[in-house]
Amino acid sequence: MEHGLEQNGRPGLWGLEQKLSNLLKPVTPDPEFVDSLKMKLTRAPAVLVETSRRKMGLLVVSCGLFAGAFLVWLLRKRWQ
Amino acid sequence: MKKQSAAPTESLTDQNAVQLACNGNAEAFSYLYEQNVKRIYNYIFYRIGAEADAEDLTARVFHRAFAHINSYVEKGVPFTAWLYRIAHNLTANWYRDNHRRREVSLDDHFDLPHLSDLPERTIEMNQEKELLLKAIRRLPADRQQLILLKFLEDLSNGQIAIIMGRTEGAIKSLYHRSLISLREELKRISGVETSDFR
Repeated sequence: MEHGLEQNGRPGLWGLEQKLSNLLKPVTPDPEFVDSLKMKLTRAPAVLVETSRRKMGLLVVSCGLFAGAFLVWLLRKRWQ
Repeated sequence: MKKQSAAPTESLTDQNAVQLACNGNAEAFSYLYEQNVKRIYNYIFYRIGAEADAEDLTARVFHRAFAHINSYVEKGVPFTAWLYRIAHNLTANWYRDNHRRREVSLDDHFDLPHLSDLPERTIEMNQEKELLLKAIRRLPADRQQLILLKFLEDLSNGQIAIIMGRTEGAIKSLYHRSLISLREELKRISGVETSDFR
């Protein structure tokens, strides 16, 4: 493991590194969870619902901008 | 994105699996999932310390990654690094949404036998681990991330730099500062716990 601190220079931190190495061990997730998530991910219907929402959002914003611009143009024309 | 049920995936690697997954290949999704699920779960679990929440967040990481896999390709970082970034962001959101951080005892989620059944050394190690995790979770998020990636995943400074989007030099310096602040936190917690027994 590439630990930057040597025993000679900083014994306190080196001891802490040793402690971290000894105590932080990977845990195994519940196999049932791992399998069921895999099933969900590979069986789930295609995901890109967000794309159509984004397009819809753009359409709504564009319509709003167009309507606003049209209103401004209309009001200006009336005042002139 | 249309999902293909099966395609030739005899020699899947991370690189071609991502390309195949972009085209909706279910087997490539499975490959990427299997390669990464344990490390992402471990990272989240050690960050938040609650099994159910770790499972929930792990599921969200993979759902998000697979839903946006096309945007991954443009960023040019290893797929695992990209997953870690998603995990880190979702964990940060989790902390933001759960103002009251739950500090769960290790006994709650590691299937440990009753304390009286354990040899003295094991009890001591569990208590030491609990104290260490408590101290780690009190550090700023980036320091927690660095320590877990280094000791849990055994990653080099270069690999951590890619995941955290920093230079290797910056990681080295952050690592040093993280150890110092962890040592301070440990002293503080040990002090508090000792004074509780007085």
